[in-house]
Amino acid sequence: MIRITRRKAVAGAALAAAALALAACSSTTSLPGDENDADAAAETSSVFADAPVAADDLILPGSTMERIRERGTLVVAEALDAPLLSQQNPTDPDSVEGFDADLAKLLAIYILGEPNVEIVPPATETREAMLQNDTVDVVFNTYTITPERAEQVSFAGPYFESGLAVAVKSDNDEIKGIEDLDGKEVIVGANTPAVTAVPEQAPTANVTAFATDPAAVQALLQGRGDAYVQDYTLLASNAANDSALKVVGTPFTKEPYGIGLKHGDDEFKSFINDWLLEIQESGHWAEAWKTTLGTVTDSDVPTAPEIGSVPGS
Amino acid sequence: MNPLIDNLGLVLEALGTTLMMAVIAGVGSILLGVLVTVARVSPIRALRVAAFGYVQFFVNVPLLALLLLAVFALPDAGLMLPLTPTAIIVLIVYEAAYVSEAVRSGVNTVAVGQLEASRALGLTLAQSLRLVVLPQALRAVVQPIGNVMIALAMNTALAAAVGVVELTAAVNKINLVAAQPILIFSSAGIIYMGIALAIGLAAGRVERKVAIVR
Repeated sequence: MIRITRRKAVAGAALAAAALALAACSSTTSLPGDENDADAAAETSSVFADAPVAADDLILPGSTMERIRERGTLVVAEALDAPLLSQQNPTDPDSVEGFDADLAKLLAIYILGEPNVEIVPPATETREAMLQNDTVDVVFNTYTITPERAEQVSFAGPYFESGLAVAVKSDNDEIKGIEDLDGKEVIVGANTPAVTAVPEQAPTANVTAFATDPAAVQALLQGRGDAYVQDYTLLASNAANDSALKVVGTPFTKEPYGIGLKHGDDEFKSFINDWLLEIQESGHWAEAWKTTLGTVTDSDVPTAPEIGSVPGS
Repeated sequence: MNPLIDNLGLVLEALGTTLMMAVIAGVGSILLGVLVTVARVSPIRALRVAAFGYVQFFVNVPLLALLLLAVFALPDAGLMLPLTPTAIIVLIVYEAAYVSEAVRSGVNTVAVGQLEASRALGLTLAQSLRLVVLPQALRAVVQPIGNVMIALAMNTALAAAVGVVELTAAVNKINLVAAQPILIFSSAGIIYMGIALAIGLAAGRVERKVAIVR
């Protein structure tokens, strides 16, 4: 009884501190006409209110969870340049926002009682190595679960399901979706599923890969390609910010995103899967979606994918 | 077993692109670098200043920044070239600055008296540079230029960031499916090491042939 009260007090204090920190950063960065930022900060903090914290008996002795709790931070590989998923605020490098980033913080609260996350920006090509040599505890990086990858790392989840879609310049009426890409110049992000998915769907398309999403968008707008194939949510957010770009058609693949873990750490995997169920039921998952990806689509909060429902998870 | 071997065709094709870029950019940067050095030691002040500015600019701006500028900023200025030629041109102008510094150190090994003597014999400045100074300078800097060429071969990997399908881009693509970064990138590293060793050995042989024993 006493322990629980104390932990709640700690969590409360941590949340108060987080709220103060958020208030502080919105006041230091606030510029005339900058009220949106303050609103966004207030909105984001609601995601973490009353976030579930694991009971002590779930932190098994000798487990990864215990190691993380002793260390006091959760080390996460996540992007810093993915709008709405995991985007670093250029004016405030300490604040990283988006769906992946919020879930990582929720997981940190679950293990530690506070959103104490240390971010290691992933080179997407070395995620497996970072897990294998214990550089990071988990990978939150729109990490598509595939059977080949599951031989190298373990996946909790899937925690979200998205898909690849096609974006074109707003004045392009010729391309209506993936079926129109044959023989076209197609831009993709290097190290995204599009690199292999586009040749499968449009065998005669000429694929050019750029290292980052901003570079790919720029290349499309400058006419280096007829279309840009990327994750639907990322494209939707780009299109919401830039009217020169539009998304055509619906997603043509299913990309189940998993939380990457060290291969064979079954204790940690089932611990995280339990946490996913808990935040789905408590509404924190939906809240995180609404304040991030949900801001660029008109659709309702999607149903969270069933845990363990794809090969490799 | 090794995913690189399963995708041998792709790897070889990409290796071909890497070597092609390294060879064209290598020859181009040596030619341009020698020209820049000539400008740096010329009696015309404006040329000297321009060459100095050129070298300082390219030595102090990261290659990746130059590549991104050339690929994404030049189209906004109305000049758009295909990706591979753009990357090769950027490599040429970038590495030429380093070649020029190496050749300039070689020029410094040629005694001033030799230039004065060749002018006294009635050679024009161009003739004395071409026949007396540069041959000796180049023979003195084979190894440093070899090192610049090794750096150039490694630097071709940065072209992967701007969409050129060379060796690094190809192994990235294979790793995306196979998810074995340590195995795949060490294998690619060994290929790059082989390229560097070959350039280093070649430079050593040339050096032994042409070195001036003083």
